[in-house]
Order: sequence, then C-alpha cells, then structure tokens
Amino acid sequence: MLHVVTQEKILLYIQNIPPAPTIVKQTLDYVRVGDLTKAAKCAEEDPALKLYLKTLVNRPIYGFRNEVSDLSQIFSILGVSTAQQILYNYLMSLLAPKAWGLFSLDNHSFYDLQASLSRKWEKILKHLQLLNHDTESAITLLPASIIVCDALFTEHKSEVEQLRAVKALDYNTILYRLSKLSLFDVCTEIGTKWEMSPAISRIVHAASGVDSTIAGNEKILAQWMHLLLFYELSQSTYVSAGLNEFVEFQIEFVQDIYESFMQVVGNDESNS
Amino acid sequence: MRATVKGRVAVFHPQGFLDGNNAPSFLTIDDIKATEGLNIDMLLVSLKKVIFFNKNGLDVFIRLLISIRNQKHIAVGLCDYDSAKFKTIQTFYGSTLNFSLFRTEKIAELFVSTNKNDSKTVLLYNDDPSQRSAMAIELFDYGHNPVIAQSKKEFEEKKQSPDLYYAVIEDTYLGLFGQKVATRVTGNAIIYTIGNFLDAEIGNTFNIAYHNNSLNVGFRLFIFDAYKVVSMNVHALNFFTKLASSGAEYNASICFVGLTFEKTPKSFKNDLEDAGIMFFNQMEDILKNKELLRELGGSSATSSKNVRSLTKGLINELSGLIDATVSTLAMMTNAKAIKESMNIQLLEIKDSKNQYASSIGFYGDLDGMIILVFPKNIAKKACELLIGEATDNEELILDSLAEFVNIIGGRAKTLLSEKKNRVDITLPRTYMDVDSLMEMAQNKKGVQVNLSFEGSHFTFFLTR
Repeated sequence: MLHVVTQEKILLYIQNIPPAPTIVKQTLDYVRVGDLTKAAKCAEEDPALKLYLKTLVNRPIYGFRNEVSDLSQIFSILGVSTAQQILYNYLMSLLAPKAWGLFSLDNHSFYDLQASLSRKWEKILKHLQLLNHDTESAITLLPASIIVCDALFTEHKSEVEQLRAVKALDYNTILYRLSKLSLFDVCTEIGTKWEMSPAISRIVHAASGVDSTIAGNEKILAQWMHLLLFYELSQSTYVSAGLNEFVEFQIEFVQDIYESFMQVVGNDESNS
Repeated sequence: MRATVKGRVAVFHPQGFLDGNNAPSFLTIDDIKATEGLNIDMLLVSLKKVIFFNKNGLDVFIRLLISIRNQKHIAVGLCDYDSAKFKTIQTFYGSTLNFSLFRTEKIAELFVSTNKNDSKTVLLYNDDPSQRSAMAIELFDYGHNPVIAQSKKEFEEKKQSPDLYYAVIEDTYLGLFGQKVATRVTGNAIIYTIGNFLDAEIGNTFNIAYHNNSLNVGFRLFIFDAYKVVSMNVHALNFFTKLASSGAEYNASICFVGLTFEKTPKSFKNDLEDAGIMFFNQMEDILKNKELLRELGGSSATSSKNVRSLTKGLINELSGLIDATVSTLAMMTNAKAIKESMNIQLLEIKDSKNQYASSIGFYGDLDGMIILVFPKNIAKKACELLIGEATDNEELILDSLAEFVNIIGGRAKTLLSEKKNRVDITLPRTYMDVDSLMEMAQNKKGVQVNLSFEGSHFTFFLTR
C-alpha cells in the first residue's frame, strides 16, 4: 500500500534531524558574542568543519584572490555576521543527502546555491539597510526546504509525476494538501532544533509567499527572499535540476519590489 | 519540465525568469519527446508565474510549439498574461506572430474539443475585425455562444456585467488557427464542423484520436455540419467511407447536414450512402426529432449492441490495473483500501444514490474501459488534493474527478507499456449519477471489484 507523505512521516523526519554538533554549537556561541579568535580555535577541533570553511571560502563566488587557509584568518575576514551565516550553511550541508534523489543536484551545486544566495542576500540587506546577525543568517535556513523536499518525495517520485501530469502542483502545495504541513513549516522546526533565532524562522517561513500574517520589515525581507529564491532557481543549473518547480512562485507577492530587486541583484550580476 | 495535460490541452508552466540562457534547460530531449507523444489539440506555455521574459527565452519554447504544430496540426501559443505582457509579445513578434495568444487558460480551453456538452456565453472584443470574426466563428464551431462587441465602447459597457459571461475575451490573438476540424458535443451527439474544399488534407485536420475516444466512451451519433462545404474530391470521399466502416463495429451513425451537391459529383452521395452515411438538410431535422435521435443512438450514450467479451490479455493486466487505481486513490486520500470481493458479472451498483461515476477507456495493443463508482464523500476527499480545499461545488468535483481518473489512466498506460503493450487513453468521462452510467454499461460484462475505503464502498469495473 502506498501512502505518499503523511504527517506522521514528516514528524518522524523532524525527530530524526540531528541536533547541532557540540563543536559547531560552541563555535556559534563564540561567534554570537563576537569572540572570533575563540571561535576559530574551537572550529579547529572539527576537521570536517575546518575543511568545509576552507573549501567554501576559497570558492570563486567569495572572490578572494589568494587562498585563505588559516581558520583565524578566515573568521576575521568573514566577520561576525558572515561567520555565523557560514556556520549555519555548514549545519545545512550536514543535513544534505549524500545522493540527491528527487532533484538532479550534487553537493557542489548545492554549496554553490548556498553561497550564491548568501552573497546576494548580503547585498540586498545592505540595500535595505536591514543587515544584522539574524537577518544575514536567515538565508541559510532557506535551502533546508530543498533538502526536506528531496528527502520526503524521493521514494514517491513517479506517483507525484503522475499527479503533476494532470495538475500543475508544486511539491510544497502537494505536501501541504496531504499533511497540512508545508516545507517551510519543516524549516521552522529545523531552525528551532538548531537554536536559530525565531525571527530567522519567521522570515524563512514567510518567504513561501503565502503567509498572510507577516508585516513590517519581516514582510519586506520575506518578499526579497522569495524573489531571490526564484532568481536563483531560474538559473540553468537549478532549472535542469528540477528545482524550478519545487515551490510555487507567488508573483503578486513580489511584484512591487521587482524593479528595485533587479537594480540590486541584476546590476550586481552584470558587474560580477 | 513536463507539460500538464487537462482534457486535450497541454500547458507548460515555467516560473520566475525566462531568458535565452536558462530557457533551453526547461526542455530536455526527454521532455520534447514526451510532448511530441501527447495526444492533444492544443499546446501552450503559461506566463502566469513568469515575472521576466525576453524574446530569446520565449523563442526556445516557440520553436518547440511550431515544430509540434507542424507535425500534429494542433493549435499552439502562449497564455496567462496581462495587457502589458500581451503588448510586449506583440512587439517582439510583430507581423511574424504566427502562434496564438490567449489571455487565460480558461479562454484557450474554449477553442478546443471536449466531450462535454457545455455551451458557454462569452463576451468577445478585438480591435482587428478579421481577428474578431475568426474568433467568433471558431467559438461558434466549438459550440459556444459569443457575444461580439463591435466597438471598444460597447465592449467596456458590456464588460461591466461580468456575471453574464463565462469569460471575457480580450488581449487574445488567433495565429494559424483552424488547423483541426472543430468539434462540439450536443447531448450525446458529436458535431464536427467542416468547410471549403474537402480533399486529402481532411486526414490531417480531422482528429481521428478524438473520434476513436468518443466511440470508446460510448458516443454513437456523429454529425458533420457541412453547410460551409463547397465540394469534396475522391480522397475526402474515401476518408468518409472508411470512417463509416470503422464506426460500424460500434453501431455508430454518421450524418451529414447541409451538404449540397452542386459542385460535388452526385455519385459521391450514393457512395457515401452505401457506406451507411445519412444526409439531412437541417441540424434541427436530427436534434429536434427525438425518435430519430434514439434510432441513431444520440439519445443516450448507449453501449454497443455487439457486446465485446474480456480477453485473456486484459485479464492478465487486471491486478496491475486495480493496483494503479487503488494506489492512486490511496495517494490522493491517504487512506487504505481493502478488497472485499471480485467477480465476473454485469455492473451492479447496490446503493446507486450519493455516488459519482467515471470512466476512462484505453485502446491500442489492448483495449478496454475502467469504470469507477465512488461514494460522494470519497470522491470529494480524493479531489481535495487537486482542488486544494473541501467543496460541495458539484461541477468542480466532477472536473477534478476527471483529472483524477486521468491520473489512473496515465498510470494504467505506463503499467501496460512496461509490459510492451502500447495503448492510448481516452478522455475521461464523469457521471453525476449512476443511472446515466448504467445506460452506457448495462450490457457490458466485466470484472467487478468491490473495495472498501474507510468504511465506504468503492467499485472498480473493468470491461470492453
């Protein structure tokens, strides 16, 4: 008997999400209080984290001309907000599957997506003058929705394809209609488990474009995040990976920021 | 990206940004092959969720649309845009615009055949009088009632009462349309509109798949509205005589209405009559004559007089077809099904009240028909996933039920193809009550499987 995705299955998935490893947690604590030297020392104890930081920071998207290998150097270059953001990105990479099933992704393209989102998000926050530790880190939770989607739907790929052959439904809508839980609800649970600020979870949840209760700066951030997500998911690599169809693009939600978005992100792209 | 198929319309739904760099990624070789294999009358690209597009991006999709139109003689175009996007597209393509533009998918659906008898009243306006007339003729040929505004002022006035119209058609353009013979359903008769000079091209423009679908789901009366036919040649004559012969197995009646033989050889009439085709002067001569309608098989979707028995090949696939149905229902309802009994018998429905019914046929290497009878509560629950909320709107439920049955048909097709049986599926048909289903299925023997879903009974019936 086949059941696609039930609420029980989602709750079990959330239950099985590992808590943040102790070293990452401690490193994050040092970063949050601004002690980057201790953060670097702490991070040294986790070889996987060390490798991740070195590899990520030296990817072309970060734009450093010379290889940066010393952790204290990495942390001081990054600064508090970006270091926190990258540590969350690392946590997210731990959650990413070894082999993607639903989406044609590999971990390199996923890291590139994380890095590209993070870099553009920083530009946006500077433009909006809303840059702080929490807002900068908010973008790191967004790709969790992709990981969760892949995890929940991989084994039901063909059934969902049959359903989508007659109705243009995105994965997030299918999940919500089947279980009354959305991908963004699961992201919120992940944020809570990793002790992220509730503001981060609220912004990412609203970035689905369907939260009617959100207002003020959080709504503005959610609008920009939603459009940024679709800007990225419209890139060839992610269209080919099947990511363009995983959530529904709420065009009305972002219509009024489109021109400004293109000035900030579009110009940035053409200059980079 | 795969197109979504509803009825005989397939639509691509790209999202976000569409330009020359990313557009090719939306269409892999497999996607193109799958699209070429679809049995459809219209192929569209929806711009509803596209916030930015440029000509290079659109061109990637347009090339595919034009290529498929050339192969299949179907209508192709773009849909779901606002006035600003409409103007942009017109600017991009100017006088070379040779595909259609439909402001909404709902408007596009008015220009294709369905197997439903639902004439819609629509308000229509276009600055270009030739476009206005072309749309009005097409809409009329598809069985609708277009109210044509002759001026912008008149249009704006009439638009103030949107409740009077099923749709308001503006910012729409028909490009290279009329490649298929228009089809409409009246009661249980199918009416095809033909015109001009009929020659070998009728073999391309007549939708034989739709015709076969209609035969398979129980239609028996086919009327050719031939008022606009000037003449026909021997190739067209051969086509119609073959069509009549192939329909004989189903006891189908084929009639021509309004055909004059001023420029067509009189002997053709004799040949067509010998093949069993009948001639009438007026449409009302058939549609208003109840006795004649019954005789011709147009008073109900009756079953064939030649009862066709189940084949061994079909029985071999039975368990797979049941699994496809049960697993689809389980997927849509998150509920478990329990098989209660299975017998070879005539269709028997115990509590015929409060039930919806639906059917879908398949034909090719194997042919048959799956009939499903649902308690209304199960049907509603199954459709919630497609509709997005609980509803009591019967029309909406039946429409979604058709989509639901289409999913089952799609799974059955996949399942059979895995065993090297190539089949096509018919359009799904839904019935608001079991009685109208029984008219069609009364003589059909088949395998009846009674299932229980959360305490409610659900019937699966496989027949030919």
